[in-house]
Amino acid sequence: MADKAILYDATKCMACRGCQVACKQWNELKAVVTTNRGTYENPPDLSWDTWIKMEFREVGNNGNLRWIFTRRACMHCTDAACVTVCPTGALYYHDLGFVAYDKGKCSGCGYCVEACPFDVPRSGTGAITGIRTMNKCTFCPDRISNDLEPACVKTCPPGALEYGDRDELLAKANARVAELGGNATLYGQNELGGLHVLYVLDDTPAVYGLPADPQVPAVATAWQDVLQPLGWGVAGLAAMGLGLNYVIARRKIKIESEGK
Amino acid sequence: MTTAKGKAKSTPISYALFGAPPAPGEEQIERYSRPVRILHWVNAVAWIVLFITGFFFFVPQFGAPAAGGVSGLLHRIAAVLMVGWAVLYFFGSPKAALRGIGEAFKWGADDLKWLQAAPAYYMLGEEEKMPPQDHMNTGQKLWWLFVIGAGSLMIITGALMWFFKGIISADAFMWSAFFHDVGFIALLSFALLHVYLSAFHPKMRGVFWSMWRGTVSARYAESHHKKWYDKIKKG
Repeated sequence: MADKAILYDATKCMACRGCQVACKQWNELKAVVTTNRGTYENPPDLSWDTWIKMEFREVGNNGNLRWIFTRRACMHCTDAACVTVCPTGALYYHDLGFVAYDKGKCSGCGYCVEACPFDVPRSGTGAITGIRTMNKCTFCPDRISNDLEPACVKTCPPGALEYGDRDELLAKANARVAELGGNATLYGQNELGGLHVLYVLDDTPAVYGLPADPQVPAVATAWQDVLQPLGWGVAGLAAMGLGLNYVIARRKIKIESEGK
Repeated sequence: MTTAKGKAKSTPISYALFGAPPAPGEEQIERYSRPVRILHWVNAVAWIVLFITGFFFFVPQFGAPAAGGVSGLLHRIAAVLMVGWAVLYFFGSPKAALRGIGEAFKWGADDLKWLQAAPAYYMLGEEEKMPPQDHMNTGQKLWWLFVIGAGSLMIITGALMWFFKGIISADAFMWSAFFHDVGFIALLSFALLHVYLSAFHPKMRGVFWSMWRGTVSARYAESHHKKWYDKIKKG
């Protein structure tokens, strides 16, 4: 099946935060009371029940001020660090390419929270018991499997968010970047094997607070791909060695005691 | 725990599994006090729980039972039991605890001789070159050193992941998980060796009972721990 994606065009976004509301409403996530921090950006961070939020940035530009917006939510990587480290398979790659998760399988270990290069997954409460399941954007699988757009896309008034086949959106995004010219960038085409949220930016990724070269942390790969097979090998050798010792020693010691 | 009734009941299976304990008529010497034995078995049970619940986290193919977080909770309970009991034991009898820990660090010429002679002894049963040993033999000292080292590694990395998540950097957290897994592999391998050498090696049949009943036969003490035996005989 062709991969699906969400295209976010930052140049069309007006930061109404309708996507934040639609996400909470569709996914029945609790809203929380926050305090005014002197910015329209609210709530202050992603959380267990806030899967998407708009970030507001004020950037100086030759004496002028640019007010720019970034969509902050799961990027649905093709090579996702969270899927690599998840011990229970709660996080997995959906047939349509995005990173789905089965909350019933989550153990609450929180490895994904630490491994994500975009700092997206959030643990619930329960730090002492360790029972604190993770939450993040699900890509609305219940909607898209019924031929509906994700809730955030559906609600977006200026059409800054689009949902569709990843290939088609890529072509569209590239055309848009060419049209914008200058420093305009397409983000998400190749990062981490290709993201399933694509960004049309009017400047470099850094200006929008996006990592220029996100990576799966080396330690996460080392512990899954090196330590695991090594562990089987070492424990297997130990067990075999002991078995071999038992066979030899028993024979020798038997012969010895019979000789006496 | 050594009532006549209990013995009669447990005779066939446990003797077949662990070897026969010293005959009732034989002279016995106390090797492990009751608090030490309880400490050992609390540790053993906690370790098995930690191992199984940790295994679910370490190997994704066996990760299904970890879902919902119950195994993670059990892992924490067992960790608290293991560390807590050791701390209680330490403050209950600090002198004995320090003496016990100190045994691991007392090394001499006989330990080097033991290391040279051990392969032939454990593979072929050749006893001639084995030097006299104290209450702990060199192998036990090595195991003890390993337990102290690997145990500390597990406690430190475990505590970092449990109590300092979100406080330490993501890299520090993941390296903690990495070294927790390294410790897991090492502890598993050496625990197999420990169980084998203290219960199942052909030369060690029956040794298991010293940690269960607390005593060994004088005959065993003299042949395996000559220095210790002589000290006791002197009084």
